[in-house]
Amino acid sequence: MGLDLLLANTPAPDAGGGFDLIGTILWPLKWAVELILVAWHWLLTLAGLPAAAGVTWVLSIVGLVIVVRAALIPLFVKQIKSQRKMMEIAPELRKVQAKYKGKRDQLSREAMSRETMALYKKHGTTPVSSCLPLLVQMPIFFSLFSVLRDVTIHQQAGIGGVGLLNATLTQEFYDAKLFGSVSLHQTLGEAVDAKNTPAIVLLAVLVVLMILSQFFTQLQIISKNLSPEAKTGQAYQMQKIMLYILPLGFIFSGIFFPLGVVVYWFVSNLWTMGQQFLVIREMPTPGSEAAKAREERLARKGKAIDSSGKVVPMAAYEQEQQRLLELAEKAKAETPKRQQPVGKKRAKKKGEGQ
Amino acid sequence: MHARDSLKAVPLIPRNLALGFLALYRRIISPMYGDVCAYYPSCSAYAVGAVQQHGAIKGAVLAAWRVLRCNPWTRGGVDDVQPHKNFRHALTPRGFVVPSRKD
Repeated sequence: MGLDLLLANTPAPDAGGGFDLIGTILWPLKWAVELILVAWHWLLTLAGLPAAAGVTWVLSIVGLVIVVRAALIPLFVKQIKSQRKMMEIAPELRKVQAKYKGKRDQLSREAMSRETMALYKKHGTTPVSSCLPLLVQMPIFFSLFSVLRDVTIHQQAGIGGVGLLNATLTQEFYDAKLFGSVSLHQTLGEAVDAKNTPAIVLLAVLVVLMILSQFFTQLQIISKNLSPEAKTGQAYQMQKIMLYILPLGFIFSGIFFPLGVVVYWFVSNLWTMGQQFLVIREMPTPGSEAAKAREERLARKGKAIDSSGKVVPMAAYEQEQQRLLELAEKAKAETPKRQQPVGKKRAKKKGEGQ
Repeated sequence: MHARDSLKAVPLIPRNLALGFLALYRRIISPMYGDVCAYYPSCSAYAVGAVQQHGAIKGAVLAAWRVLRCNPWTRGGVDDVQPHKNFRHALTPRGFVVPSRKD
C-alpha cells in the first residue's frame, strides 16, 4: 500500500509524455472504474438529477461502492461457509495442538503450523478468510485515486480519461461542486491552501466518521466474533493494539486523498459495518460470544441449532440430541471390551493351576 | 567492505528496497489483519522469500500470483517458495540480501 501511495503521490507526468507506472498497471481497472462511474452518472441523470451537480457525482461514487461490494459478496459467503466446516475438524486440530503443547521454540512452532495447514488442506477448509478478499479492494481504490487525480490533469489538457470518461464529462466532473465550493478532486491539503472553509469542514467530518466506522467495525469483531482459541494468540494482542493505532492512519490519508476517494472509502466502511453486523448476528464464528448470544436468542424463540448448523424447533433439537446420545451408547455397547493382554507364560500357568 | 563488494551490492538494491517495504508491511499492517492467510508460509512471508530468492520483479510476480491463489476457493496448505537454482548471495539476520563473502 505504502509503495503505491508513494508512487501515486509523485508529481504525475504531463498527459502527453512520460511514463505513469501505476496508471499503466491499473489501466484495465481504471477503465472499469470510469465505466461504472459514467454508467451511474448516466442513470442518475436519467432519473432527473442535474448532470453537472456535485451530488450526482458523489452518488455515482456511492454507486461504484455498491457495485464493487456486491461483486465481493460471494467471496464472503464462501468464507463463512468454510468457517462452518472448521467445527468438524476441531477434534483433529486439538490433537495437533496437544502434540506441540508447551513447545515454544521456532522449529516446533513452524512444524505445528505446517501440520495444521496440511490438516486444513485434507478437509478442504481453512479457518481464515484467505488474503485476496482483504487486498482485492486496494487496486480498485488506487484506480479511483488515479482516475480522480487524472481529472485535474486531463481537464487542464482538455482531454478525457482512459475510457468512457470523455473530455466533456471530465470537465463536468472537474466543475462539479458540493455546497457551492467543494470539488471532488480536492484534498484537505489543497483546501487548507485555498482557505476553502466548507471543504475543510466536510473533509474533516468525513475523516472523523471514517475513523469511527473503522474503529467500531474492528471493535465488533474483536469483542464479539473471535473464538476462544483465537483470543489466546499473539496476533490477538497485536489486533487489540492496532485497534487504537490504525485510525491514526486515516488522519494521514484524509489529508492526501481527494474528497472523491474519501467518500468512496467512507461509504465502503459503512458497507463493511453493515455486512459485519449481519454476519456477527446471523453467522457468528462458532464458539465466540456472538455465537452464544445467537443461541440464547434462538432459545428464547423456542429454537435451537442442530448438528448440521440449521435452525430447528427446540423439540426437534432435543429429539436429535436424544438420538445422537442413543447412537453413541449403542456404538459403545457394540464395540468389544478390550481384553487385557496376558503373557504366554502366565496364560500357561493359569491353565496348569486349574 | 571493499569497493568491489559495494559494486556487487548494486544489483541487489531493488530487491532490498522491496524487502524493506515488505518488512514494514509485516510489522505494521499485517498484525491488524491477524491470521488470515490460507497457506503456510503466509502470503507476506512468501513474498519475502520470493523477493530474496528471485529479485524484486520476479518475486513481485510470484507474490502477486500467490495472493491471487489465496482466495476463499483455495484448499490452502503448505506452499513454499521455489528456491533459486543457484542462489549466490547471503542473507542477513533481518532477511536482507547481501553479496556472498566467498568467491
